[in-house]
Amino acid sequence: MSQGFTKSMARNIFYGGSMFFFLLLLVLTFDTVKSLPQTDNRENLTEQVAKGKHVWENNNCIGCHTLMGEGAYFAPELGNVYKRMGNSKEAIIAFIKFRPKNGIPGRRSMPQFNLTDDELDAVAEFLKYVSEINNQNWPPNIQG
Amino acid sequence: MTKVTRHPPGEIIIWLFIMAELLVFGLFFAAYAITRIDNIELFELYQQNLDTTAALYNTIALLSSSYFVIRSVIAIKADEQKNAYRWMLLAIVMGLVFIVIKTDEFAHHIDNGITLSTNTFYMFYLSLAFFHYLHVILGLVILGVLARNINKGMYSSKENSSVETGASYWHMVDLVWLILFPLVYVM
Amino acid sequence: MKHTSQMVAKPYFIAAIALFVGQILFGVIMGMQYVVGDFLFPEIPFNVARMVHTNLLIVWLLFGFMGAAYYMVPDEAETELHSPLLAKVMFWIFLAAGVVTILGYLLVPYATLAEITMNDLLPTMGREFLEQPTIIKIGIVIVALAFLYNIGMTILKGRKTVINLVLLIGLVGLAVFFLFAFYNPSNIVLDKLFWWFVVHLWVEGVWELILGSLLAYVLIKTTGVDREVIEKWLYVIIAMALITGLIGTGHHFFWIGTPGYWQWWGSIFSAMEPIPFFMMTIFAFNMVNKRRRQHPNKAAVLWALGCSVMAFLGAGVWGFMHTLSFVNYYTHGSQITAAHGHMAFYGAYVMIVLAIISYAMPMLNGRKAANSMKAQVVEMWSFWLMTISMVFITLFLTAAGILQVYLQRMNGDASLPFMVVQDKIEIFYWMREGAGIIFLIGLVVYIASFFVGRDQPEAEMPK
Repeated sequence: MSQGFTKSMARNIFYGGSMFFFLLLLVLTFDTVKSLPQTDNRENLTEQVAKGKHVWENNNCIGCHTLMGEGAYFAPELGNVYKRMGNSKEAIIAFIKFRPKNGIPGRRSMPQFNLTDDELDAVAEFLKYVSEINNQNWPPNIQG
Repeated sequence: MTKVTRHPPGEIIIWLFIMAELLVFGLFFAAYAITRIDNIELFELYQQNLDTTAALYNTIALLSSSYFVIRSVIAIKADEQKNAYRWMLLAIVMGLVFIVIKTDEFAHHIDNGITLSTNTFYMFYLSLAFFHYLHVILGLVILGVLARNINKGMYSSKENSSVETGASYWHMVDLVWLILFPLVYVM
Repeated sequence: MKHTSQMVAKPYFIAAIALFVGQILFGVIMGMQYVVGDFLFPEIPFNVARMVHTNLLIVWLLFGFMGAAYYMVPDEAETELHSPLLAKVMFWIFLAAGVVTILGYLLVPYATLAEITMNDLLPTMGREFLEQPTIIKIGIVIVALAFLYNIGMTILKGRKTVINLVLLIGLVGLAVFFLFAFYNPSNIVLDKLFWWFVVHLWVEGVWELILGSLLAYVLIKTTGVDREVIEKWLYVIIAMALITGLIGTGHHFFWIGTPGYWQWWGSIFSAMEPIPFFMMTIFAFNMVNKRRRQHPNKAAVLWALGCSVMAFLGAGVWGFMHTLSFVNYYTHGSQITAAHGHMAFYGAYVMIVLAIISYAMPMLNGRKAANSMKAQVVEMWSFWLMTISMVFITLFLTAAGILQVYLQRMNGDASLPFMVVQDKIEIFYWMREGAGIIFLIGLVVYIASFFVGRDQPEAEMPK
C-alpha cells in the first residue's frame, strides 16, 4: 500500500526546499538593500569616508580589531571608538600616529603604519561615520 | 482478524516536515504574541488597516480547498480516478482564489509604501503572511503534480500514499492560516 | 583503486597536509601573541600571523576537497578523469599562487602588498579571510573553473551517482559564491552584507553539501550499507542544511546596520541549523552499526564518526549557544565566537578531509584497502590527540568568552575596557596555548603515521 519514503521523494524535497528558501533569501535581501538608506548613514558617506575605508582595508585593521563586532579579537572594537574617545577625530588620529615602531614591551602592540595626514583624517572620518550607523543599538555599552 | 497498523496518512517523512513547519510557524506566532504584549497600542492601531473581509474570503477559500482535497483522496481510494482528478482541480482553483486575494492585499500594502521596516506590527504581519503565502504556492505546486499524476492513472485504491502525503501537507498549510487569521487579523 | 587517474589526488592531499602544518604553526604563534603581546613584533604582527593562519586553513581545505573529488569522482562515475594533465597543471598553479600569497603577507607590509598588486584597480583586499590580492583572487577563480570543468566532464561521461551530483552542486556553489568576494562597495553595510554571501553560504551552506557527499562516500565504502539508503538520507540532510542555512544567513545581519527584522528571521532559522548536523551524526553511527562488513581501515571509520560528532558539537551546539539575537547581542565578536569557530571548522571540514585522506591514501600508496595496523594505531592516536586538544581549546575560549562578555558588556557602570578584560582572562589564553601545543603534537603524530609500518602487511579483518 505504501511505497515508502523513496530516494526521489527526498531528492524533490531537496530541490524544492532549496529553491523555495533561496527565493525567499533573494526577496528578503532585496528588501534589505532597499531599506538600507534608513539605517546606513549614507548621507554622510563622503569621498573622505570612502577613502578612509580604503585606508582601513589597505592596512588590514580588521586583522586585529572588530568593526561592528566582525573581525579579529586581539584588539578593541572600533565601531564605536569615535564615541569612546569623546567624539574626537583628533584623539583617534593621535593614537594611530604615535604608535611606537617597535611596540610596547610585553604588551599587545599596534604597528606604526606611517600614514599621511590625509590618510589619518580619512580613517578617522570613516570611523566617525561607522559610529553613526544605526545598527540596532549594538554594542551594549561604550567599551565595545 | 487482521491487525490494523495505525499510522498517520501519507509517508512518515512528510510528518517530520509538517512538525518542523509547525515549529517554525509556532515560534513566529509565539514571538508575535509576546511582542504584542509590549506594543498593544501600535498593534491594535495598525491591525485596523488590515482587510478582514478579504481574510474571511481567504479562510473560506482554504477551507473549501481542503474539503475538495479530502474528496479527492476519498475518490482515489474508491478507484474513481476521474472524480479524484476533478476534486483535485477544484481544490487547486480555491487555492488560486487565495493567492489572487492575498496578492491584491500585498499590492495594496506596497502601494502605500509599507515594508518590513515600517514598524514592528507590519514586520510581523508581512513576515507571517508572506511566509504562509509562499507555502500556499508550494502546496499548489504539490497539488498540481498530484492532479497530473491522478490524470495519468498513477494512483488507485491500492497505491495512493502520495496523494495522502500531499493532502496532509495542504491541510497543514490550511491549519496555519486558521491560526494566523484570528491571531493577526482579529484578536 | 580502479582508475589510474585517481592518482592525481595524491599531490593534492600531500599539499593539504603540508599547508595544514603551516596553519597550525602560525596558530601557535598567535596563541603566544595573545599572552606575550609583542611576540615576534614588529616582524610578524598579529594581523599578519592571523591572515597566514586563516588563509592557509581555507587553501588546505580546498586542496583537500579537490583531492577528494579527483579520487572519488572517477570511482563513482566509473570512468577515468577527463584530464589528469589539467589536474596536475592546476595543482602547481594553485600551490604556487598560495605560496606566493603567503610570502607576500609575510615579507612586505600589507599596504605595500596592496600597492604592488595594483589593488586600486579593483579593490578587494583588506577584508577578513579575503585578504588575498585581487590578482590572486582572479587566479583562484581560474583554478576553480578548470577544476569544475574537469570534474564536470568526468561526471557527464560516466555514471551520475547522487554522491557525485551532490558534490558537484556543492563545488559549483563554492565557486559561484566566491564571486561575491569581488564586490567591495564603499558602503560598509553593503560590504558586510554581501561578504556573508561568501562566508556563510560557504561554510553553513554549500560546503555542507561537500561534507555530506564525502561522508556518504566514506560510509558506503567502509560499511557496505546499501547505496540507495545512504543516498536517500544524504538528500534529506542537505535539504535540511539549505532549508535552515539559507535564511539562517540572517544571524549575521543582527548588528551590521541592516533592518531589525533579521533578528527574528535569523534567530528562528539559524536555531534550526544544528538539525542537519544532528542528522549526520545519527546517519554515520546508524550506517556503521548496520554495516555488513568490517572494513580493515579502522582509522578512516574513526575519522568519519568523529567528524559527525565534532561537527555537531562545534557547529551545531556551540553555534546554537550564541545564535539567538538576544544572546548574540552580548556575545557578538567575543571569544565565544572564536571558540565556536575553531571547533566548527575542525569538526566539520578538517575532519572530513582527514577522513577522506585516511580512506584514500593507503590505496594511492599501493595498498589494497588499508595501512598496516601499526600505522593505523599511530593515526588513531593522532585523532585523539588533535580532537581532545581541540575540545579543550574550545572549552578554554568559551570560559574566556563568558568572563569577557560579563566583565566588558554586562557589568553596568563597572564594565571594564577591552584591554583590561583581556588581562583578566589571560589564564585561559595560557591554557589554550597549552592545548594548542598538544594539537600540534597530534599533527606531528599524524604525519608520522604516514611513515611508520610501511613495510608491514596491511591490516585485514578476520573472515
